[in-house]
Amino acid sequence: MSTTCSQRQTPTRHLGAKRANTLKAERRPSIMSNVLRPYLAAVRSTLTAALTLENFSSQVVERHNKPEIEAGGSKEVLLNPLIISRNENERVLIEPSVNSIRLSIKIKQADEIERILCHKFTRFMMQRAENFIVLRRKPVQGYDISFLITNTHSETMLKHKIVDFIIQFMEEVDKEISEMKLSLNARARTVAESYLTAFNA
Amino acid sequence: MILLEPHNFIIHTTLHEKILKPSSLDVQFVDFDGVRFHITTPERKTVILLSMHIKCWDELVRYGALEVLQREYGALLLPQPEAEYNVSLQIDLEQVPGDAESREAFVMSTALFKRNALAAPFESAFRTQKQLEASGGQGELMEIHYRDEEAIYVQAANDRVTVIFSTVFKEETDRIFGKVFLQEFVDARRLPTIQNAPQVLYSARDPPLEIRHLPDLRQSEDIGYVTFVLFPRHFQAPATASATISHIQLFRDYLHYHIKCSKAYMHSRMRHRVAEFQKVLNRAKTEVVASEKKTVSGRTLVSR
Repeated sequence: MSTTCSQRQTPTRHLGAKRANTLKAERRPSIMSNVLRPYLAAVRSTLTAALTLENFSSQVVERHNKPEIEAGGSKEVLLNPLIISRNENERVLIEPSVNSIRLSIKIKQADEIERILCHKFTRFMMQRAENFIVLRRKPVQGYDISFLITNTHSETMLKHKIVDFIIQFMEEVDKEISEMKLSLNARARTVAESYLTAFNA
Repeated sequence: MILLEPHNFIIHTTLHEKILKPSSLDVQFVDFDGVRFHITTPERKTVILLSMHIKCWDELVRYGALEVLQREYGALLLPQPEAEYNVSLQIDLEQVPGDAESREAFVMSTALFKRNALAAPFESAFRTQKQLEASGGQGELMEIHYRDEEAIYVQAANDRVTVIFSTVFKEETDRIFGKVFLQEFVDARRLPTIQNAPQVLYSARDPPLEIRHLPDLRQSEDIGYVTFVLFPRHFQAPATASATISHIQLFRDYLHYHIKCSKAYMHSRMRHRVAEFQKVLNRAKTEVVASEKKTVSGRTLVSR
């Protein structure tokens, strides 16, 4: 009996590390809705593909080295921008270039409350842009928040972790905004009820 | 603390302290709606002068505030108020009742100074409603401009008293949060436990019919009108009436207080979430190995 047990355990032990990884990967998509998954997968693969950056000095000004996507001085180093849309209210714009990528996100805003919460949240983050090295201080027109990844970032930081960060941000920002909205409604209800109940006393 | 208290906390604590241990005193402070108070001991340590300034004093006097205050405070009310203030009370600490219970009642009634002054139009509306019950018709529309741009309107009818608050939301966020809160006030009455509460109506921009004819109404997006319909069951018994008055006076402050609270909560939440995102991004940074650097002679190189 004991021998069969140990025999059974051995392969599991071998798989230990690998299995933990797959479990983690499986757990995360299960939270997401089925529509969100392909959207995020598309963003992830596009971003990973676009993150092939190299050092590139400016062709216009001597001894300058700027993110070409922002400077826009030489058209030949800019690649085709790409929009990944989940629906008309949610989309991601990825603009690659030879030494930098700009990624802009339009966050879902169904009503007035979500609009104001989203605005507050993105503003809050962008005011702290120096801590979020890859965050842009201002969003691109038509979007709510923008990231700028340069070749320096991709050299000093782990590329796949940067992608992870952006994907996680996209996942959680929707969740956070809807949770804030729920908590606002719950608070409003409690406040109204306790005020009106006091009239009975 | 969900509900706000109708009494003034500073008056309450100061009086309690000074009754135990009289000392000279000169304090100015404020309450909701820009009401200013001044507590002094002008002559002796045992005689306290409490003065109050209310923006809408003239209107309150017209609706019978002096009679209400006279009834509540009797001889304490000074015929001539202190300069720059509307109304003054003189409290002789040596005449304060000795036993703990009636002393607390006395201090509490003094702390309700502002509430009592503002209660006059409501009391008069409740009385008018009783008179109108037989005859029908509508009472006078009483306006109380208790803040710069905001007012309370009270009107009695034969079967109810209508109280209308106009409230201004200074910011876009306040306006939207306020809308959510007021909508809940309207919806909350569906609950069986609070069916007896006054009916609440809310309109965002257009003033309700009762006050639409008034000339000084500003029409813009940031104004909201909240109407409370009080039925006789809310003010028939004297105890209920006084509870209703204390409670309804604070509506505007209560609403705005909770709007501010939820903004603060959102802020702390965002702070937490942004810190979480920061952690995720920090994982992307490659660690710089900090090795100890030494010169040939064996001394450690320290970077400043």
